[in-house]
Order: sequence, then structure tokens, then C-alpha cells
Amino acid sequence: MGLHTLRLATVPLTFTTSRLFLNPSPTLAFFSRHVQPRKPSFLLRAFSNSTAVQDTPLTQTSSDSSAARTQWKAAIDFKWIRDNKEAVEINIKNRNSNADLEAVLQLYENMVTLQKEVEGIREERNNVAKKMKGKLEPSERERLVEEGKNLKESLVTLEEDLMKLQDELQHVARSIPNMTHPDVPVGGEDSSAIRNEVGSPREFSFPIKDHLQLGKDLDLMDFDSAAEVSGSKFFYLKNEAVLLEMALLNWTLSEVMKKGFTPLTTPEIVRSSIVEKCGFQPRGDNTQVYSIDGTDQCLIGTAEIPVGGIHMDSILLESALPLKYIAFSHCFRTEAGAAGAAAKGLYRVHQFSKAEMFVLCRPEDSESFHNELIQIEEDLFTSLGLHFKTLDMATADLGAPAYRKFDIEAWMPGLGRFGEISSASNCTDYQSRRLGIRFRPSEPLQTGSKKGKANLPSTKFVHTLNATACAVPRMMVCLLENYQQEDGSVVVPETLRPFMGGIEVIKPKLR
Amino acid sequence: MGLHTLRLATVPLTFSTFTSRLFLKPIPPNTLQTLGQFSRHVQPRKPFLVRAFSASAAVQETPPTQASDSSAARPQWKASIDFKWIRDNKEAVEINIKNRNSNADLGGVIELYENMVNLQKEVEGIREERNNVAKKMKGKLEPSERERLVEEGKSLKESLVTLEEDLVKLQDELQQVARSIPNMTHPDVPIGGEDSSAIRKEVGSPREFTFPIRDHLQLGKDLDLIDFDSASEVSGSKFFYLKNEAVLLEMALLNWTLSEVMKKGFTPLTTPEIVRSSIVEKCGFQPRGDNTQVYSIDGTDQCLIGTAEIPVGGIHMDSILLESALPLKYIAFSHCFRTEAGAAGAATKGLYRVHQFSKAEMFILCRPEDSETCHDELIQIEEDLFTSLGLHFKTLDMATADLGAPAYRKFDIEAWMPGLGRFGEISSASNCTDYQSRRLGIRYRPSEPVQTGSKKGKASLPATKFVHTLNATACAVPRMMVCLLENYQQEDGSVVIPEPLRPFMGGIELIKPKLR
Repeated sequence: MGLHTLRLATVPLTFTTSRLFLNPSPTLAFFSRHVQPRKPSFLLRAFSNSTAVQDTPLTQTSSDSSAARTQWKAAIDFKWIRDNKEAVEINIKNRNSNADLEAVLQLYENMVTLQKEVEGIREERNNVAKKMKGKLEPSERERLVEEGKNLKESLVTLEEDLMKLQDELQHVARSIPNMTHPDVPVGGEDSSAIRNEVGSPREFSFPIKDHLQLGKDLDLMDFDSAAEVSGSKFFYLKNEAVLLEMALLNWTLSEVMKKGFTPLTTPEIVRSSIVEKCGFQPRGDNTQVYSIDGTDQCLIGTAEIPVGGIHMDSILLESALPLKYIAFSHCFRTEAGAAGAAAKGLYRVHQFSKAEMFVLCRPEDSESFHNELIQIEEDLFTSLGLHFKTLDMATADLGAPAYRKFDIEAWMPGLGRFGEISSASNCTDYQSRRLGIRFRPSEPLQTGSKKGKANLPSTKFVHTLNATACAVPRMMVCLLENYQQEDGSVVVPETLRPFMGGIEVIKPKLR
Repeated sequence: MGLHTLRLATVPLTFSTFTSRLFLKPIPPNTLQTLGQFSRHVQPRKPFLVRAFSASAAVQETPPTQASDSSAARPQWKASIDFKWIRDNKEAVEINIKNRNSNADLGGVIELYENMVNLQKEVEGIREERNNVAKKMKGKLEPSERERLVEEGKSLKESLVTLEEDLVKLQDELQQVARSIPNMTHPDVPIGGEDSSAIRKEVGSPREFTFPIRDHLQLGKDLDLIDFDSASEVSGSKFFYLKNEAVLLEMALLNWTLSEVMKKGFTPLTTPEIVRSSIVEKCGFQPRGDNTQVYSIDGTDQCLIGTAEIPVGGIHMDSILLESALPLKYIAFSHCFRTEAGAAGAATKGLYRVHQFSKAEMFILCRPEDSETCHDELIQIEEDLFTSLGLHFKTLDMATADLGAPAYRKFDIEAWMPGLGRFGEISSASNCTDYQSRRLGIRYRPSEPVQTGSKKGKASLPATKFVHTLNATACAVPRMMVCLLENYQQEDGSVVIPEPLRPFMGGIELIKPKLR
């Protein structure tokens, strides 16, 4: 508890209470449901799902009593939400979100009312000031001075209230999830629709090993030493596994660069506000995010976060869009609450290498880029000879930022089932409204202004999309398990061989 | 201060400040001196990344903050320090401490050790007395005599409990104080400060430029290779994104380095980058304190590695290796994270000193008699790599005051950096002899059965020995990039890729300015 208190004390983002406001502690029940999904399933999904901003962490209401301000503002379109109340309500329900729309609307109406009140008083004050410019009876002047003073006092109080109200509105409204693509199936994970299926499960004529056994027999991984040195779910890669990781990343980068993506390496330590702006929850008991002691920084769980941040608070030229990145980084996840059989071996680990695609584009292009991203993923996994299916994930399985999400699940013989290997999300303007990434359309608007000159067209928020190109450990699970031979060796898929110095087979070592 | 208190509270390893008749003052008399020394160490005159890490973060003193915690927590682990050897070689150790500019308190260590030995004897004496009493009580006795013996046994037991507690505390304190004693030093190492370091070798000559040169930061901007500005918004200063060909260059450097070093029989590894803080300590780095170079994870006893030396050192922790398995030679790739607390100055510009970078690190575990040869092999590999890349560099045998606590001897390589207009450190190769293995508990059992002199007449297993460990940078990517970009720049603003790297970059020969 000591730790916790301290963490709050160093972090300005806290909840405020005031007479105007709603009950500041929403929904105990939802919290635990969201952080422990019924199927404790997939790494990438778990990350986007459970850590997405879907609720206000309970802890924020409890201990800190100082009314600190929010660190940053999401440009949420409250007017649109109010005007589309029914659609938003249905969306929240479909997505199994615990966002409190009523509270948001009420706070928003309160804020609008208060804003009007503040404006009214400002006007009155101006009137008083205007009156005082003329010649006046001393008694009248004194009355006006008194009135002005009173008005000023009210104004100070009301402006303070307004600021608090705005902060609270921000806080509560952030839990509202993105809207959903009309074609997304409504329901839980079982409702997800299969978009595509490639290949068929390999038939083995011999008893198979899982990747953990193969890794041990071929001297490719060391989980035992890592458990001593670091903790459980850490690992060393050894020998050909190191080369395989590099080959996977090199090959992926070179393939994706052919599609016009700019390669990047990224910082792996970022300010926690960036994590929040991307729609993840960096704090709380069940956070997936490692925090750095004594700072407001944390470790990234995916390169989506630092790449999302590159163009933060900027206005891009329309001609510069789309910006397409392929970013390599290490990723760090606490995997709090993860348990079960799928937690074995490389399937769910605290640290791994990943190449992630990220696109910033005009709103009208995001759907076609979403299709491009899933196509790239499918092409990559097909080249590696995997058996997989692509899913259009159902509403309840979307993280808050995603408008639509396509997952790819590949056949993992050791698990005896499909396991998630990638995820491609269209986040439309959910992240860009938080990160402040806009563009200015090139075409001047048809001018309707009285001044008769062409105005600069107003800025719009870009759409952002992210998609896994290669999450190394899960790819290794697939490759080792699917390409194992009866003699215990593993064949390296042809596409990767040029990136591994021509190695064709990983053979048991002579000791 | 709140943070600090908390950190101490969650971390069991603290200085035991209990006082007892036998012990030294818990705040060593040289604390103030220590403070002065500390700040000198964290702000080396020539701030070199790799060296700064090993020098300033190495366990050279007990952080003064630890003295403030009043609970007497136990150290988490024990270093197998050879106190008898230290006592028997007091003069040599004293001179070594002085030469290395260490603030280790040898007098304190020896006094604590003598106290401990005396106390041990006392405890043994009382145990014997108690046994005697117990023996006497087995026979038939007068009731009064029995009662006297019962009483005597009881009071002996009480003394024993007290003394044993004292002994444990004393041992803990001895551990804590003795850990600051640096490794001994190779007799050929020049004595003195950094200026005394000896040049072992010099390769190439500085390139003559016929045009005004740019530094790597400018080249990185002009060629759209590096983005520090966005990184400072997203992460903080001294973080960066690599873009475009720089990403490929990083991968090429690492791929090429790995493939070259693997040819020499090194096993490739990737490592965890989050480790328990005890492993950091055992490798001779200081994971806590105001000026630590180490990032800690909130709410755990884990931290981020500053070098792959740490997780590789930990692989064989607490184990006994077969002599036939030695030497174990690893080439490990990892990202490295450093707070760079206290770093400042011109050399902190651009990629020279950053919070996060990629590195391939060599690590060897070998028999004591082989470590000097292995050290020569490591520096040879480094020199071969940098020669292949066409760098102008010199190899230094680092002087005593410039060695981190774990190093018995350290060879640094400094390469010519035209943008800085001077040599800058690009690698470091240290022989740590048994300093780390005594902390990590890595031994081996010699294969040859020992000539038996035992009375039982059968061949006994030979006693285990501590391995020697060595570590050496194969490729610290950002500093290599500084060298490559600055040395291979052309008048038209492009940068030539050295030939060995081209096959690892899809055949790219030149990084050209982008068309926009």
C-alpha cells in the first residue's frame, strides 16, 4: 500500500470532487471483469483489451485528496456524442464497456451551462466597466465598483469550478470506446467472423514435441537460468534461435519496406502520458505496463506507443499522408493476471522482439489501409508456410481504441489449437484526438466568408492504424512446432534461409 | 525523499546500523570523504559511456543513504570473499586500494574479520562447554550437582543465542563493508589516473577532409536517419528514433558482428533486459543510490540492464561447471538502458551518450590460468572488427585509477571521431578474474583427480575453484554509428557504407540525401 500511495503522489493525474460533479467512483464490477478476460487468451489482444482505457482505476478515487489537474486533454467531440447519444449507448453496450455515458452527458451539460454562466458574468462585468468610463455620481460610481468587485469574485469561483468540471469530464469521457465499424459482428469472442483461412494443419507421422521441448533438445532457449536471473516468463535465446530471431526481423523489415514503409527503431522507455494517449492504462493493480521507479516513465508494451507519439501535437501536410512505418522494438509486459496452459514457454513472456506496422492517413483512406495491413500480414505468414485464419473480431473483443480489429491465429501443433500471432487495428481518430495529430487538407475550402478571401482549410484529425508484422516468440512457436522433423531437427522455411547465412536445418548439437 | 525512503523500505539490502560492543561504528569514519569520491567518480573528467558505466556504477562504496535506514536488514546474498587472503596480504591490498583510488576501508574489513574470527572461536568454545555439560549430565549425579549443571547449561545456552545473533550480524556487516574492496590489479597495469593509461596499439590515421565536415547529428538530420526531437517529447532527452538506412545500418552492424564473432567459437545469445537487482550487484554494479546508472522497475526488486554482461554473468550463477566445458564463450545481443545520471558536457551530444542503445557483448568464463590469454583474444577480436570497418583507433591499457572495481585489467579502444575532433571510447575489454564469480557463485571442478593425501586412501574429488570471467564490447551501436557516419561522409552530404557491412544491408553502398 505504501508503494501505491507513493505512486499516486508522484502522478498528477487524479480525480476531483466538487459539488457539481457526479459520484467519482464508477463501477467496481466492471474493472475486475475487464482485467481478467473470460478466456485468458492472447498476448496481443490481452494487451490491447485489458489495458485499454475502459475505466477509471479505482485507486484514483481513494487516497489522494488534492485536486490535481489532468496532464493532457483528449480532443473528444462531446457535441457529437450528445447528438448521437443512442448510437454511442448501443456501441458501449455492444463493446462490453463500462463507460458511463450518462455521467459524461451530464457533466458536459453542466459544463456548457457553467460556461454560459461564466460568459454571462463576463459580459455583465464588461458592461459595468463600460459604464464606469463615463462621468458618474460618486454614489453611482461606488455602487458600480462594488458590483464589479462582486462580479469578479463570482467569476474567479466559477472559473475554478469550470476548470475542475472540464478535468472531470475529460477523465470520465476517456473511458468511452471508439465507435465500431458497421460490419463488425456484435457479441463476444465466439461471435468473431472468419475472414480468411489459409493452409491446413500439418499431419505428423510421429509423436510431436512442443516448442519448449524442441528448444531444450536443440539448445535454443533457456528459461531456467532466466527465472533465476530475472523471474519467470523471461528467457534467453541461444544458438540458432538468435539467428532465427534476427532472420525473422530482417526478412520482415525487408518485405514490409518493399510496400513503402519507413523502418524505425524506437525508444522503449516513454512518458506514461504517451501510453495513456495511445489508449493503454499505465497504472493500477492490473496494469500490463512496467513503470520506472522515481519517474513518470514506463516501458513500452508495443512499438505502437512510441510510433504513435512521433507526430504528437503536430499538423501534418495532407501531401505527406499516408505515413507508413515499420518499427522494430523490444516490448515489455507484466502479464498481470495471465495464467493457464497458454502461458507455457514462449507463448506469453515478459519481454520480446516485435516488428510493428503503423499508418497515419486521411480519414477516408483508413479502411483501405486496414485492408492493406491485413493483406501484408497474410502474405508474410503465407510465405512462411503457416496454417492460419483471419478473424474480424467481435465488438466485445475490441480494445477501446479500435474501430475494427483483424486478428490472425495460426495453428500451433504443441498447443493443439490456433493461437494469436498478429492483430491489425484501425483506431480511426481515437488515438489522434488524444495525441493531437492533425493534418491540413491541401484543397482550399470554397470560401463562404464575408471577407471574400480564401481561408486556410481547417485541420482534421488523422486516422491511425497499427498491425503486427512479426511478434518473434509466437512466430518461433509456430516455426519450431510446425517444421519439426522425426529426428528432432527443425527445418528453416526457405524465405528465411538467406537471412540466416543459408542454414536449412536446426540440428541437435553434439555434446 | 519520500521516494527514497520507500525504495529502501522495499529493498532488503541495507546497511545494518545496529550497534554492539564488538562492532565498528555503523557510519564509517570516511563517509564524507566517500561522498567526495563518489561525485568524482560519477563525473569522470572525460566522460566515456562504457567506462562511465563500469567505473561509476561499480561497487566502490556503500551509498551514504543506506546508513539512514534504521532496520537491520540482512544482505540478500553472500560474496565468497577470501578474507584470510586479504588479511595475509594486507600490504598488497592496501597499495592496490590506493592505486585504484578506491575508498574501500581495509582497516574496517580486517578489524571486522578479526572480530568475527574471535567471536566464532568464542561461540565454538561455548558450544564445547555446553556439550561437556550435557555429557556430564548423562551420568548419575547428586540432585544439587544436577541442578547446578542444569543452571549452567541454561546460561550457556542463553549466551550462545546472543553470541550467535551477534555473529550473524557481524558477518553481514563484514559482507557489506568488504564488498567495496576492488579486485587486485595485473602487475603490468600502469599506476595512476587516466592520463597514465598506456597505449598498446594504434591503427590507421585520421582521415583528412577536403571539405567542411558535419558531425553525426547534422548528418543524421540531413539524411533523415535520426530523430532526437520527437524522442525528447515522447520519452525525454537522450532518447532517439533511428530511421531509414540507420535502422538497416544498426541491423547490419549487429548481424555482421555476430557472424564474425561466432566464427571464433562464441555462442550467440539474446538476454532478458529486466533482471533482479541482486544480479546487478553481483556483477559489481550499484543498482541503487542517487547517482545510480541503473533504471529500477517500480514496485519490484528488478531493474533494467545497462549491459548484457549482467544477464550473461547470471546464466551460470550458483553452479559448478565441468572443467571440460570451459571456456564458455558467449556473444550476447541486448538493448542497454542507463540513466546517465551526472553526465554532462560536449560529448553528451547526439548518439555519444544515450539512455538506450543496442549492443553486442562478448563474455567468457574460463579457468584462472587461461584468463590472460582470453583477455588477449578479446582485445584482438575487437581490434580486428574495428580494423575491418576501417576505423582509426588506439588501444589503451587503462591505468589503475580508471578501473571499475571488478576489473583486474581493462583494455579500452578509442576511435577517432571527426565531429568531436578527438578519440572517443568505442569498446572496453575487462578481465574480472574471480571478482564476479565469487559473487555469482560460479565454480568449476577440475577434471584431474587430486593426488590423494587423505588417510582413507581413496581418490577424493578435486576441490572446486572459481572461474574467471571476462567481458568485452563487440559492437556498441550508437558509438559505431558516430564513427561510421562522421568518418565516411562525402562532400555531397552522403555517407559511404564500409564494404564488410554491405552484404548485411541488402547491398546498399551509399546513404544519400532523400528527395522530399
